[in-house]
Amino acid sequence: MLERYLESLRTDDPGAEAPAATRERLKPRFAPGAARRMTLLGMMVGASLHELLGPADDSIVYSSSFGEGTALEGFLESFPTPSPTLFQTSIHPSAAQQALIGRQRALPELLPLAGGPELVAQAALAALLAPAERVLWCGGEERGTWLREAGLASDRSFAFALALTRARPAAPLARLALEISDQPGALALPAWFDLLHARRAWSGAAGGGWHLRLEWL
Amino acid sequence: MVAASSPVRVAACDCLTPFGDARATVAALLRGERALRPVPVRGVEGGDAVPLALLPGRALDETAPPAWLAPLRQLLAPVIAEGWGTARRPVCIASSNFGVGSIYAFRRGHGDAHRATGTPHDCVAWLRREFGWGENVATFSHACVTAHLALLHGARLVQAGGAEAALVFAFDFLSPFVAGGFHALKILNAEFPAPYQARATGAIGLGDGAAYAVLARGVGDFALAAHAVHNEMHHFTANQADGAGFDRVLAALPADGRRLWLKGHGTGTLDAGRLESAALARRFPGAPLVGWKGALGHTLGSCGLVELALALAAVRAGRTPGTVGAASPTFTPEVALAAFDNAAFDGVLCASNAFGGAHAALLLAHA
Amino acid sequence: MPDPLHAHLKQLIVTTLRLEDLTPDQIKDEDPLIGSGLALDSIDALELVVTLEKEYGIKIASSEESREALATVASLARFIRARADPARLPA
Repeated sequence: MLERYLESLRTDDPGAEAPAATRERLKPRFAPGAARRMTLLGMMVGASLHELLGPADDSIVYSSSFGEGTALEGFLESFPTPSPTLFQTSIHPSAAQQALIGRQRALPELLPLAGGPELVAQAALAALLAPAERVLWCGGEERGTWLREAGLASDRSFAFALALTRARPAAPLARLALEISDQPGALALPAWFDLLHARRAWSGAAGGGWHLRLEWL
Repeated sequence: MVAASSPVRVAACDCLTPFGDARATVAALLRGERALRPVPVRGVEGGDAVPLALLPGRALDETAPPAWLAPLRQLLAPVIAEGWGTARRPVCIASSNFGVGSIYAFRRGHGDAHRATGTPHDCVAWLRREFGWGENVATFSHACVTAHLALLHGARLVQAGGAEAALVFAFDFLSPFVAGGFHALKILNAEFPAPYQARATGAIGLGDGAAYAVLARGVGDFALAAHAVHNEMHHFTANQADGAGFDRVLAALPADGRRLWLKGHGTGTLDAGRLESAALARRFPGAPLVGWKGALGHTLGSCGLVELALALAAVRAGRTPGTVGAASPTFTPEVALAAFDNAAFDGVLCASNAFGGAHAALLLAHA
Repeated sequence: MPDPLHAHLKQLIVTTLRLEDLTPDQIKDEDPLIGSGLALDSIDALELVVTLEKEYGIKIASSEESREALATVASLARFIRARADPARLPA
């Protein structure tokens, strides 16, 4: 069984908040002028992640199924004279990079994952296997527009960041464990976010032959 | 920086380029051939001619379903039916494009059928079904270091994750989406790439590429002896001007006196090429440095595994192809323009670098 | 009398790059555009290139050429005047 303690957690669920309002809400969390090239996902992930940044040797795992939906839409719309900014911004793992470049924060290891129903299990596995004592697992989605209507972008915006440690911290929030299992089933990224946001426990098949247990302490 | 000593071996490995498999590609590189050709950057819609290396018979514009499925099936034929996609036999996928050519085609009005493979997860789910793989698939995407990360994770799965073997599979196929993007960055232009050459204008080429490696304990005569990764997070498209990011990733590798030849990233851009070659020369003085993107183009997320497969094939052949497409003067005297015999070397350092100042390196050595 | 091309370029810079806290007249002709007080970088420069190519019908061939052309507003204006159809320049 692979296991870590959840030391700290940040979540952002804009719900029905309009994207422009979310940007205005988060803008003060970044350096003046930084927000002009940031995506909504970058701002949400950045705002959550920045509060958890600790020692320089932390590793980071990033998970998003759809990534930068609006940057992708904008880049596609910019043809036949494609925008270099939107091209750059649309490339996975842009949100994590926006957050970290904004802070000029070097780090040893960044493991960015994409995926569907198996993404949560695989990102948890990457976090639990990483050699670093402290691993930050962040991710999320941003709601798309016309790509969403085509089933090619997320229908919901959200972001999270959590800090996982090997050693039990002074006041752990939860324990996260993974073990091999033959149970069918999967835990999708939006459902994972909802568990974190609501501080709800869970034990079940996370996908790909892994059983995930989230136990709040 | 993170370095991990790894006893994991390469039980099987091959790649696919426009020249064919790893052996055929090394033979072509030894003959000094280039797969890059001038292709309109927007495919059927035209645009400036830029150097691209497409698989024979493949057009830049995506088909529905993508035409690269059959070549991938052929590439994977030796390993495809070995029960992959379980916790004991996981798959680690690496790509920076996935089916983005399909999304582009959908947007340009080429049909709804393109939606089926547009997102990374839909593209991977389609491949899983086609290849009969289970659900235990980790999908990595981090631009040009993606394949290194997938190899690193695959090694960890074998070492500590309960896997008896891991299949690492990387693929990237070009489309007007990615060609247009790099053209907008002005680094994919009318010039052909000349990696590590000191000239006035930098230029890259892009190429189709795919590769696989089976990682396991105790099987195979070559090992991934060490991995190192580092992320500068200085700027999206530029490295720290003093080359410190390159130095940090190389410093994490063991200094155990091995005599190495070096397979660099070398896309053909000037600043990164200068910094990379200088850092490699500082860390491994006198070690010959080669780069093959001047012949094959940059295969993006898959390049780390495509070029690992080529390095392995070159070791088996006893001869390392030189830096095809480049000429004197070069940034450092260590840049090997011509092919050389490699039997006297203890191993190969394979390095890749990516947007955001991401760096990755691995050491391939006899087990 | 301000150079109309300089003035137009400054407006394009502010609009294209969505510089909310800057007005065109705050950009000086000879100040470095990249890596200076404007806090613009190489990606901003390339985004400007796309706009300039569309606006004036010019072609910038490489990242090295764009770096040279976009050194300052004055150097950019000289670059454009040397390559664009005069009919496309502001009067």
